[in-house]
Amino acid sequence: MLDNKISFTLNGKMVEFIGDPLRRLIDTLREDFNLIGVKEGCGEGECGACSVIKDGKLVTSCIIPMGAVNGADIWTIEGIRETELGKIIIEAFADGGAVQCGFCIPGMVLASYVLLKDKENPSELEIREAISGNICRCTGYDLIVESIRLADERRRNA
Amino acid sequence: MNCYIPENLTEALEIRKKTHAVPMAGGTDLMVQAKKGIGINPAFKTPIMIISYLSELKGIKVEDDGTLVIGSLATSSEIADDERVFYPIRKAASLMGAVSLRNTATIGGNIANASPKGDLPQPLILLDAELVLSSIDRERMIKVDDFIIGAKKTVLQDDEIIKEVRIKPVKATHYFYHKIGTRKANAISKLSLSILADVEDGILKDFRASSGASGDKVKRSRDAEMILIGKPISEIASHIDEFTSAWDRILSPHAMPQYRRESTRRMLSDFLIKLSEGAEPGIYE
Ligand SMILES: Cc1cc2nc3c(=O)[nH]c(=O)nc-3n(C[C@H](O)[C@H](O)[C@H](O)COP(=O)(O)OP(=O)(O)OC[C@H]3O[C@@H](n4cnc5c(N)ncnc54)[C@H](O)[C@@H]3O)c2cc1C
Ligand code: FES
Ligand code: FES
Repeated sequence: MLDNKISFTLNGKMVEFIGDPLRRLIDTLREDFNLIGVKEGCGEGECGACSVIKDGKLVTSCIIPMGAVNGADIWTIEGIRETELGKIIIEAFADGGAVQCGFCIPGMVLASYVLLKDKENPSELEIREAISGNICRCTGYDLIVESIRLADERRRNA
Repeated sequence: MNCYIPENLTEALEIRKKTHAVPMAGGTDLMVQAKKGIGINPAFKTPIMIISYLSELKGIKVEDDGTLVIGSLATSSEIADDERVFYPIRKAASLMGAVSLRNTATIGGNIANASPKGDLPQPLILLDAELVLSSIDRERMIKVDDFIIGAKKTVLQDDEIIKEVRIKPVKATHYFYHKIGTRKANAISKLSLSILADVEDGILKDFRASSGASGDKVKRSRDAEMILIGKPISEIASHIDEFTSAWDRILSPHAMPQYRRESTRRMLSDFLIKLSEGAEPGIYE
């Protein structure tokens, strides 16, 4: 049986968490590791502001308990923005005017990253599906979709 | 101690028997229910057992006789992406929540939660799916339709864990699945319907339907289905009214009953009209 010591990789580094296994992943990331790019919107899995990448898949960290991340590979915006593809996406978001207040953007970038890492030239439908769990109250999504397309183009021409 | 994290099934079943700790799979229902607020750990009234590491509950496989076995920890994404999974289940899984929810939500959690609005019991009941319930003292099989007895009510005993879902291959030529939600992503079902038909030599050999979010649990009626089973395709049209009326009688929707009843009747009769006109085998939405 595992005890209250949880080991996992965070943005490429091995880390340890000791504490209540029912503590939410989002709280650990923000408060213990100071990764404040992880945002809390709804706290109920509905808005995607707290998105992180767990074992290559997009998940919402507000409904994941620490006890479920032992051995997991977790990436937040702070790690993804240092990767090649991450940089391309963030630049495309800036150039494409995808960012207004910015609250949803870390989650949007991670959702885009998960989509683009496995798929070249995704259709508009695939892009909209990939970000469908990420709510943006400002942009109306069109400029975000355009920026993801731009990121895909740039990475293919790079 | 309020949280156990077993590493194999035997250990989990021992803890379950001794403490009756509530299993947590993806946590997408439990964590939301226990939510306290930013920076505050969720509060549970009972001890919790995180079952995420039990490899005995993972994966999807097909046995020699074609029986599909879905581990209770299989996520909606895994189910939606697996071509071997029978169509209505795969389709229902693919329409649950949004990407991140599907990456976390499990089939075991969806069944045990027994919400009338849960999406997976509906196609599972259409296909007569069975559950393997494990405890340290015994293992038993039960149909999903008998396991869920009402809204949020199941016959799960406090020493049991759902191990897997088993579905025998079903002969079918035509499938239909439709979910009506409020918006595309993270939409909770307002209404869902699956239909299966098996047409052979112009005869309707098998016909089943299953209605979700239309009462306190998924609705099926073998009696109503028998109205159509065995009939030649050429006679189907003349039985549509009788069938849809019989089906309507088993529904007991709470909210928007008129809307739910009429939508169900329309989807059923549209499908039956297509069948009676000799629709090609395949998938209809
Ligand atoms: C944003 C959001 C959107 C959603 N959208 C949908 C949707 O479109 N359709 C839908 O149907 N649901 C939806 N849900 C509800 C939920 O995600 C599903 O019911 C999910 O399948 C539950 O699985 P889980 O593994 O997360 O369950 P958990 O929260 O881990 O558990 C749920 C219940 O099942 C029990 N349990 C879990 N696994 C087992 C097991 N192996 N044996 C015995 N008991 C077990 C738990 O004790 C608990 O009572 C949504 C939830 C959220 C937060
Ligand atoms: S804060 Fe996690 S999904 Fe909204
Ligand atoms: S930019 Fe403000 S929420 Fe998306």
